Amino acid sequence: MRAQFRTRIRLVLACIVFVALLILTRLYFIQIVHGQEYSQKADSQFASGGSGLFDRGSIYFTRKDGTLISAATLASGFLVAINPQTLADPEAAYMAIDAVASTTLAFDHAGFLAAAAKKSQVYIEVAHHLSDAAGQTLAAENIPGVEVLRERWRYYPGGSLAAQSIGIVSYGSGDVLSGQTGLEATYDETLSRSGNSLYKNFFAELFSNVGNLLVNAQDAREGDVVTTIEPEVETRLETDLAKITTTYSSQSSGGIIMDPSTGAIIALATYPTFDGNDLQNIDPQRLSNQLVEHVYEFGSIMKPITMASALSAGVITPQTTYNDTGCIIVDKARICNWNYKPYGVIPMQTIIEQSLNVGASWVAEQLGQTQFRAYFTKIFGQKTGIDLPNETDALIGNLFKPQQVYYDTAAFGEGIAVTPIQMIRALAAVANGGILVEPHLVSAIRLDSGIVRPLDWGEGTRVFSGTAARDTTVMMDALFDHTLDGGKAMIPTMSVAAKTGTAQLPTPTGTYYTNRFFHSEVAFFPSFNPRFIILLYTNDPKGVEYASKSLTPSLLDLTHFLIDYYAIPPDRGFATVTPSV
Amino acid sequence: MYRFHYRLPFPFVSLCLGSIAVLAVAYIGLIAVVMSYAASTVEFAQSVRNDEASVASLESRYLAAVASITNTDYTAEGYAKPVAEAFVPSASMTALR
Repeated sequence: MRAQFRTRIRLVLACIVFVALLILTRLYFIQIVHGQEYSQKADSQFASGGSGLFDRGSIYFTRKDGTLISAATLASGFLVAINPQTLADPEAAYMAIDAVASTTLAFDHAGFLAAAAKKSQVYIEVAHHLSDAAGQTLAAENIPGVEVLRERWRYYPGGSLAAQSIGIVSYGSGDVLSGQTGLEATYDETLSRSGNSLYKNFFAELFSNVGNLLVNAQDAREGDVVTTIEPEVETRLETDLAKITTTYSSQSSGGIIMDPSTGAIIALATYPTFDGNDLQNIDPQRLSNQLVEHVYEFGSIMKPITMASALSAGVITPQTTYNDTGCIIVDKARICNWNYKPYGVIPMQTIIEQSLNVGASWVAEQLGQTQFRAYFTKIFGQKTGIDLPNETDALIGNLFKPQQVYYDTAAFGEGIAVTPIQMIRALAAVANGGILVEPHLVSAIRLDSGIVRPLDWGEGTRVFSGTAARDTTVMMDALFDHTLDGGKAMIPTMSVAAKTGTAQLPTPTGTYYTNRFFHSEVAFFPSFNPRFIILLYTNDPKGVEYASKSLTPSLLDLTHFLIDYYAIPPDRGFATVTPSV
Repeated sequence: MYRFHYRLPFPFVSLCLGSIAVLAVAYIGLIAVVMSYAASTVEFAQSVRNDEASVASLESRYLAAVASITNTDYTAEGYAKPVAEAFVPSASMTALR
C-alpha cells in the first residue's frame, strides 16, 4: 500500500517537473529568443496609436507689458488624399479639389491624373493646409476615392519675424518632425510631444506606471517656450536692417538689442532672412544664424574693450597722455589713424572720441602682451552660452603669437574675429559696470502642468573694474554728444554712449581689401544706468566708407524709438531750480 | 465538542455567480468610463488646438499691422518732417512720450 502511494507521488512529482520544464522552455523562447518581438507587440497593445496629428509646444514673444504673442504655434486644417483604386472619376475629383485648394494642390492637372492612374497604390496625398471651410466643403461632396483628413502643421504668425532665431521644424535626416535650427532646435525636448498620453490602456497604465502617475516626468519636461524678444522692437530692428542692406547693397546686415545688465535679448535679426511658413523656397544658407555662427573683424568698436582692459589693469588713467604721430611702424607693419592725421599729445578720451588706431596700439603696448591676452581671452576665449545652436568660437589665435603687431591691430579690432553675440556681450560689460553676462533669448518655460518655470541665467563674471567701465563709458558718451553726426546726434535729455567701427574686409590670401569694409556701431543708454545696448553691423556696403554714415541713422532711429516706446525717463537736462508757483 | 456551523441563507454557488456578475458589470462600466474619458479628452484637446489656431491667425494680423505701421513712409503719405526738434527739460517719467 505504502509502495503504491510512493509510486503515485513520484509520478505526480515527475508530471509537475515535466510541466515546469515545459513552462521554463516556453518562457525561455518567449523572453530570450522572441523577447524583442513580444515586447513590441505588447507596446503596440499598451499604447494603441493616437490621432496621428502633429503636436508641438509653442514659442512666444513677450510684449513690453508682458503679453505673450505666438512666435511659433500650430495651425490646423485639412489635407486631401486620393485612393487610386477606388477613385472612379479622376477628372471630376481634380476639378472639385482644385476649386477649394488651388493654391495648396501639390500636382498640376497632368500630374494629378498620373497619380490617379497608379492603381497599385491606395493613398496619395494631393493637397495640404486647407482651411476648415475649404476642407468641410470638399468633405461634404463625398467623392468616392477622395479622403479629407484633419491635419496640423507648424505655423509662424510673424512670418519672417526673428526667423533665424526662432528656427524651423522639419524632418531633417530622420522620419520625425523636429526642430532643426534656432530655438526650435535648442528647446526641441521641451517643445516636442510624445503624443501617447490619450489612448493608453487605463489598466496597463495604472499597474505598470504607478510611479509616473505620482511624478510624471513628461509633464515636468514638456511645455512652451517664453522668449524675451519684443515683437514691435524686433519689427523695428528688421525694418532698419532691410533699409541699410538695400540702401548700400550690402551682402548682409545684422543687429542685436539687449538688456546689458541681464543679458536678455530684446531683438536680434539678420537681413536677408526667410519666411518659416514657406520652407519650399528657403535658401539653405539663410537658415544659419550669423549672429552666433559667423565671426567678423569688427574694427574700432573693439577700442572700448581695449581701453577698459587697460584702465582696469591700472596701466593708464583717463588723464594719461601720449604723443600721437598719426602713423607708427610695428614689426615692419605700418599702423595709421583713419585720417593719417597726427594729434600730438592728447588724453585717453581722444582715442575713443576720434577713433585713433595709433592711440589704441599705444594702449595695447602699455597693457603688455600677457595682460592683453589675459583680458581678451577672458572676454572672447569661450562661447557666450547663448541658447541658440551651433555657436562658434572666436578666432583669437594671433594673441598667442609673440609679434607685437598682432596685439596692436587687435586693440582696434583687426586680426581677431568674434561673433556679433560675443561682441555685444563684451561691450555690455563696459555698459553694466564690468560684468560679463550670459546672453539669452528664453526667460521661462511654461510647462503643460501650468507651472511657469523661470530660467536662471546666472550672475555673470566680472572682467573690468567698475571704475574702468565707468571711465570708458564717459569717453563713449562724449563721442555721442560731440562727434557722432557732427554733434547733431546729441539728445539733450538722455545720455547715450556710442562707438562706430569700420574694418577692412580680409581677402582670401590673408591681406585686406582697400575698398571693401565691414561697418559696425554700438550704443547704450542711459549711459550710466543703461536699459538697452544696440549693436548694428553691415557687411560689405557699397558706395560708403564709414559706419558713421551707413549705420548712424538707423542707430539713432532705434535709440529714439526705444526711448519713446519704453518711456525711459530723462537722465539729464532737468530743470535745476524748481520754479516757484 | 461543539462545532460551529454557519449556514448561508442562499446557496454558495449563487453567491459566486452573483459576485462574478457584479464584477463583470463593474469591469464593463469601467471600460465605458475610460473610453468616454479618452474620447472627451481627445475632443477637448482638438478643440483647444483649433482655438489656438484661431488665436494664431489673429496674432498674425496683429504682427502684420505692426510691420505695416513700422514700414509706413509718412512723407509719402503727405506728412512733412518737423523742421526742428525741441527737448523739454523735465523730471516727468513720461517727458518723452
